[in-house]
Amino acid sequence: MNTPGEPEELSADLVRPYVITNGRGLPDNDQFNLITLVTTSDLPRPSQLDPEKRAVLDLCSGGLLSVAEIAGHMKLPIGIVKVLLSDLSADGFLVVRAPVPPAQLVDVSLLQEVLNGLQARFG
Amino acid sequence: MTHYIQDPALWALIAGTPLAATVILRERRARSKTRREKAAIESRYTELESSYASSVHEARIRAEDATKSALKSAMRTLQGLANEQQLAISKAQGKYGEHYVLQDLLEIDHMNSQFGRRAQAIAVLCDGWLGRQRADASVYDVVRSAKGRIRHYTRVEIRSQSNFAMTGRAVEPVALALAELLDNATSYSAPDSPIDITTRTVPKGVCIIIDDAGVGMNEEEKKRADHLLSPQGPTDITALGNPPQFGFAVIGVLAARYGFSVSVDSSSPYGGVRAVVLIPEELLTSMPEPEEAPTPSRTAEAAAPVESTSTPGGLPKRSRKGSMSIVPSADSTRAPARTEEETASIMAAFQLGTQSGRSANTEGHDPQ
Repeated sequence: MNTPGEPEELSADLVRPYVITNGRGLPDNDQFNLITLVTTSDLPRPSQLDPEKRAVLDLCSGGLLSVAEIAGHMKLPIGIVKVLLSDLSADGFLVVRAPVPPAQLVDVSLLQEVLNGLQARFG
Repeated sequence: MTHYIQDPALWALIAGTPLAATVILRERRARSKTRREKAAIESRYTELESSYASSVHEARIRAEDATKSALKSAMRTLQGLANEQQLAISKAQGKYGEHYVLQDLLEIDHMNSQFGRRAQAIAVLCDGWLGRQRADASVYDVVRSAKGRIRHYTRVEIRSQSNFAMTGRAVEPVALALAELLDNATSYSAPDSPIDITTRTVPKGVCIIIDDAGVGMNEEEKKRADHLLSPQGPTDITALGNPPQFGFAVIGVLAARYGFSVSVDSSSPYGGVRAVVLIPEELLTSMPEPEEAPTPSRTAEAAAPVESTSTPGGLPKRSRKGSMSIVPSADSTRAPARTEEETASIMAAFQLGTQSGRSANTEGHDPQ
């Protein structure tokens, strides 16, 4: 049907994102944000798994990976990746680790005092 | 004798006989001429009649062709627009992936897929073009693609995956045919009953089996379906009823054109229709290598702090220094930047500074 002379249209993905998640856009409990880290658990993988979920497990098996990185590798919208991750962690195939909290900063007033002292002596 | 000669009747007889003979002869000739003419007229009439029938037939074919080519070009425009829109939606989905708009974008995407499928189906009936070039894809992905093109796709459950893939040229036609079958299955069954899809490997290829729990088809419907699904089935778009029932006609055309076969004459274990699509070996290929395969080994490599700045997929690679250093790994022992003495002296200098600052404050140097 496509004669060689006809212009080729740029095609979108064969499987659309809404099919991958069966219509779900964002998971109900938003336990993931862009820097949440996930990795695979010790549970053996089931034999029947969606190709996308399998790809996520493959990605995560090397160590901890952030949600943003997984979405980048999968070339899928972040919401869709979050649905996949939430399914996989609910089934126990993924271990979720909350983002590392920022380091505790030194007391600002102390730093201010240091600055004042320096200014008093040298300024 | 003379008695007779003088009889006028004799003379009249003598004169009349040739006359009568002439008249009779002429009449006979005229009659045969009429008969010939009648035959000629009759043959001319049948000739006219057949030429009339053939010109009516030709006119119908021409009208059909004209309708088809007009519809074909109209559908081509619509198909192009649907494709363009799908790309735009994909872009928006990437952009607003984390936003609550995503749910709406997914719904719009779904509607656009259905719209594209309708345009494709009409184009196929008008001997048109499917409009999309695809790479080889797994049977599972083709089935999922088909699932995404119908309204009630969440009712469709795919029970099994096979290890086969389809060649690129078969992907779009098979997906469209499956979508039409699924559309029929969802339309003619209860709104919440599931539709099951199973894939089975058979000696001739791969069978995709669609079972619905609907009311099934009666003999007349089965006959109509068989007729439309047969390779010599009609593709007369004006004979599909009003509203037109494209489904089986589209599937028939696609199956004949691409060489797969579809049958709907068995019944499903749930009482509805069982549709079986047989994909022959010519349209199958081995599983395609997943593009940019995210293999564990490669990911492990990416996790190590190597100097490479981008992944094989072309994405910038994050160097894991901050949060990742908390995870106990070999690199925490690697290459300390300072010796212990250096560190100690730096800390000492810092401590000295803060101490002198504090003492400066107590000495009464109030910074104003």
